[in-house]
Amino acid sequence: MTAFTDLQLDALRELANIGSGNAGTALGSMLGKTVDISVPTAAVLPLADAIAVAGRPDELRHGIVVPVVGDMEAIVLLLFPDADARTLCGIYGIEPSTPDGRSMLGEVGNILGTNYINVLGQMVSMTLEPRPPQVVEDMLGAILESVLLGRGEDVDHALILDSSLMVEGEQCSLSFLLLPNHGGVRQLLEQLGL
Amino acid sequence: METVVRMGEAMASHTPADVLACIGLGSCIGLALVDRSKGVAALAHVMLPASAVPDPPQPHKFADLAVPALIDLALAHGAQHRRLEAALVGGAAMFQLGGSGQDIGARNTAAVTRLLEQARVPVRATAIGGSNGRTVRIHVGADMTITVRQAGGREQRLLGGRADTEPKAVFA
Repeated sequence: MTAFTDLQLDALRELANIGSGNAGTALGSMLGKTVDISVPTAAVLPLADAIAVAGRPDELRHGIVVPVVGDMEAIVLLLFPDADARTLCGIYGIEPSTPDGRSMLGEVGNILGTNYINVLGQMVSMTLEPRPPQVVEDMLGAILESVLLGRGEDVDHALILDSSLMVEGEQCSLSFLLLPNHGGVRQLLEQLGL
Repeated sequence: METVVRMGEAMASHTPADVLACIGLGSCIGLALVDRSKGVAALAHVMLPASAVPDPPQPHKFADLAVPALIDLALAHGAQHRRLEAALVGGAAMFQLGGSGQDIGARNTAAVTRLLEQARVPVRATAIGGSNGRTVRIHVGADMTITVRQAGGREQRLLGGRADTEPKAVFA
């Protein structure tokens, strides 16, 4: 279940690229800023390594989870370092660790997640529906392990499709992860004929 | 030296000044076993309540296999079974994701607790449940100390250090 070919990973990376590009444009419209997107990475990693790739497990992150249901189940996870969450919320003059701040981060997650999922669904001809976002502020390791094990399934490896968005002029970066469940990855690849 | 016990792993030590740590526990359980008289500590990072197969590659992932395996590991480092004491950290519910993962933290906690009972290892301290992530550290040595920390918080003593024999719970 862990083996994906380079061709399959390239296809998944391209899906992430288009999805996050679309999502970044939508966020840019909301903020009135240019949003740059880095080349996404697609990697299949043992769970413990997946956490190590995202940073030190005790680093503080603002995490926004957007569960996805429909023809495929997945989770969209946005991770902001604290300084970047402050910068983003600062555009509207609010602090991230307040009800208003959490509400704003949830809305950013909603816009990014919904646009990402919509374009992904169109590309692979699936009906995908985002659920309301959940916002937490906690240790990176705790956020990731709770999301990766959140379905109670025994998963050895996680497929991580990682994009970084940079809000121009504001030096604000965030990690954007799509975490399909295992059946979901196969479904995606089958829809692409791979 | 600090050794980080990652998901599905387990470590033991009887070397004074060693530190065993599970960093950033969410729904997982940091299961600490100590024999304070022998200065032996063992720590497992347990991910799920039960294994679907009898002999998985990483037995410490699953509570049903991790508890007996961690006891054996502590004994191999010189601990005595009847002197073992346990502390549980983690088992939080940070998100509501639905499906079979609902309350995975609570199910992990229940499974570990039940297996410790079966093995007659008393649980002396817990920092479990709630919605926050935690880090647990065992400071190995004569005054074997177990500490717990939440994001942005300070390290708090959970067990050991100065004489304490009463079981307690920190922000459970």
